[in-house]
Amino acid sequence: MRLTVSNIFFSLLLLVGVAAGRTWAAEPVRPVTSAWTVEAGQVLRANTYLSPLRYNGWRAGVGLERWQAMRFNPRDWVMRLTVGADLDRTLSPARNSVMWGLDLRASWAMMWRNRIDALPGLTLGFGPEADLDLGVLYLPRNGNNPAQAEVAATCGLTAYATYALRAGNLPILFRWQPSVPLIGAFFCPDYGELYYEIALGNRSGLVHCAWPGSYRRFKSLLTADLRFGATALRIGYRADVISSRSGGITDRVEAHTVTIGISGEWLMLNPRRQLSAETETISAFY
Amino acid sequence: MSRRIIYICLLLFCLLPACHPLPEHQDSPSGNFEALWRVIDEHYCFFEEKDIDWREIHDRYAPMVREDMTKRQLFSVCAAMLDELRDGHTNLSAPFATSYYRGWWSDYPQNFDLRLVEQYYFNFNYQQLGDIFYGILPSNVGYMRVPSFTVGIGHGNIDYILNYFNSCAGLIIDVRDNGGGNLSYAEVLASHFIPETTTVGYIMHKTGPGHDDFSEPFAIEYSPAPSGNVLWTRPVVLLTNRSTFSAANFFVAVLRAMPNVTVAGATTGGGSGMPYSSELPCGWGVRMSAVSILDHQGRVTESGIEPDKGCAVGLDAVAALDGHDTMIDFAVKLITR
Repeated sequence: MRLTVSNIFFSLLLLVGVAAGRTWAAEPVRPVTSAWTVEAGQVLRANTYLSPLRYNGWRAGVGLERWQAMRFNPRDWVMRLTVGADLDRTLSPARNSVMWGLDLRASWAMMWRNRIDALPGLTLGFGPEADLDLGVLYLPRNGNNPAQAEVAATCGLTAYATYALRAGNLPILFRWQPSVPLIGAFFCPDYGELYYEIALGNRSGLVHCAWPGSYRRFKSLLTADLRFGATALRIGYRADVISSRSGGITDRVEAHTVTIGISGEWLMLNPRRQLSAETETISAFY
Repeated sequence: MSRRIIYICLLLFCLLPACHPLPEHQDSPSGNFEALWRVIDEHYCFFEEKDIDWREIHDRYAPMVREDMTKRQLFSVCAAMLDELRDGHTNLSAPFATSYYRGWWSDYPQNFDLRLVEQYYFNFNYQQLGDIFYGILPSNVGYMRVPSFTVGIGHGNIDYILNYFNSCAGLIIDVRDNGGGNLSYAEVLASHFIPETTTVGYIMHKTGPGHDDFSEPFAIEYSPAPSGNVLWTRPVVLLTNRSTFSAANFFVAVLRAMPNVTVAGATTGGGSGMPYSSELPCGWGVRMSAVSILDHQGRVTESGIEPDKGCAVGLDAVAALDGHDTMIDFAVKLITR
């Protein structure tokens, strides 16, 4: 009797597996387009909590970008994940004081895309984006106010335009992607509040609503992916302008960096997954 | 209709990144003077307590600034303007000099002679731990001199000192000439004299550039030293002079609230504003009192803390010639009477 029950159980499991396998086979394959980049450029940083002056200098950073068509509607929807880190070294106008900045950034967006029939190769897309930024500014010359934490979590809109063309035998994909946050929250102490007071336990009023009146940001990424076989050389330009104001403290970042890296499409295959000849591959870009 | 929405979205996309304005400054004598005046105007926290008309001071000093003046001349004008604040926490730092208002202590008797204590009370035979020196006076009263709060000290170190005074009737903590330092170090020492978590003061910061823009006072609570550490409950006399300043001034404000503590000596130097740093277009640094720390009764102690009633005493110069620190002698009497 026990044998019969276990036979039925495993038979059911097998049926479910076969059924699932058929479903998987009907699902299109969604390769991941990843890009690893390094970047360098110039940056302006100003934070009136630390200094009323504008500091100018260089920025160096690394980034990872990951695109994939979305499972629920891979033809029309794509998602984009980015993570990165930037290090800024800036000098005061008199060039006698150094301010350091370290920022960790991450974003996730899902975008509706539409291939423009009138201009083959052109794809436009837009959708919501979530951003998380963790950073710190450090001005060693200051005594009790030497640093400022820069933390923001926002939701906004992003859009992109890609245009694929061939230069001789070299396929090139151009992309422009601007983003703006619309709503969220960011950290900022009060006008003259020292971190000592925060450490004493006064945590009120540190988190502020981020909306276009208080927190403005414009990210713009312009890239060209030059495909050499399976991988591509990415060169590009990234602009990141942030302006926030709360409690009388104004923070400004104006960064312009040149980006270089490699990108490629990667396919993660499940060994248990059955791929049939008619399985469709839907790329995020191509 | 849909095209109109797209246009509106595009317009929003273009308008949103417009940045918030930043202050504009010129690196010229007048530009630096105005930047200095403005940063003090917006951040300094004791205009009302000191009855300072900062606008009038601007109008008095601004005509002294000429575009052809040297940096040292400009520095002199700016430093003189800052002296009007009568604040030991306010400085202007240039590559060639740092301005410093000395009137808060130079106009008062010093009331302290380190050599006198070392030679005539300890014959140079005392214990030293960090920058603290301590020993037992012949009258069986413990003596601990804390010259500053710039050197960190741990609870274990303080335990060793207080255990050394185990047989003493009381303790003199001498904070004369203690110019302050780190409030956290002062808290570590104070925690050995506080029997339970206590509100020892309040802190108020500026909430905007206006002279009256202050936050509600936020309570500063000190807790006793962790269990297992020594808690001193016997009589304590705090010896103060005009050069007891800043973190040391707050240390006095904290301990004077304890029932077993008597403050004796001269009025402290104050310095109850926590300094905030800024800078000028020419690169000079500015430091000013920007966050007000009040005592446990909500009083501003910027102008100093007076000794307890009947405990005002100074250093008698004639007695000092005979090897007597009249302030220490007074403190010993308070403990042994």
